[in-house]
Amino acid sequence: MKTMKALDFEDVRQGQALPSLTKHVTVEQIRQYAEASGDRNPIHLDETFARSAGLPGVIAHGMLTMAFANQAVTDWLGDRSLLKRLQGRFAGMVVPGDDVTCSGTVASKDDATRRVVINLVVTNQRGEKVFNKGVAEAEFPPQRSTTHAA
Amino acid sequence: MTDARWVGRSYETPPYQVTEQSIRDYMEAVGDVRDDGELLAPPTYAMVYGFDAFWQLWTDQEVALDVAHLVHGEQRFSFQRPVRPGDRIRTTGRLTAINTRGDMELVTFDLNAIDEQDRPVSDGIALFIIRKP
Repeated sequence: MKTMKALDFEDVRQGQALPSLTKHVTVEQIRQYAEASGDRNPIHLDETFARSAGLPGVIAHGMLTMAFANQAVTDWLGDRSLLKRLQGRFAGMVVPGDDVTCSGTVASKDDATRRVVINLVVTNQRGEKVFNKGVAEAEFPPQRSTTHAA
Repeated sequence: MTDARWVGRSYETPPYQVTEQSIRDYMEAVGDVRDDGELLAPPTYAMVYGFDAFWQLWTDQEVALDVAHLVHGEQRFSFQRPVRPGDRIRTTGRLTAINTRGDMELVTFDLNAIDEQDRPVSDGIALFIIRKP
């Protein structure tokens, strides 16, 4: 585990790119996610069932991809409690063996509310979007006073 | 085609007891293990404490969604406060719309999670897509 310092609101710039985050998805990770989340839908676990449902094979949970997008934002923020909103569309299937990359850009920054809006997209190794129309919103704590009472 | 008369039906999860182990299992599963000092669940952990609402909808024999052809299409979450070990969270899911787009059925499901003092923890909207077999 590594510890990170929380980002300063003052250091955020509109148009700024977040560090990208790439994840290699495996059958084992999908199983582990099914256990941790309780979502044991057989389309994620049973190859035969997945094929009978018209899928190419088992697929990753959409919420696993969203968890990656979540992490791309909170790794940058350095504090999970700052994230207030997260949304997006599961635009494509993620299957075992895929390498998915989360990319984010600061869309806006409001000095009055200390809120920052980030646009997010997750693509696979072929450049296909698997999560799009992604939006995250963070709220930073009130600015600490820089002056000291006499 | 799912019968539109089920719009409005709601499901409440039993209280979900958040434990350190459950948060760590989730962090390991998604590969998000950074230590922030205090152990706070990653925000998308909302799908762990709220999952039973999805499950109740998917297994409701009267509504009878075609779950074999169901995929999660979109998801929105708002987080009112971070989640910690010791929290007991109840989530209410409500079927709020059933629409068709081409040969797909779109099912909208609202999520509302509260703590033991009935204070808001998170809200969500899930969109499920059911493909025609």
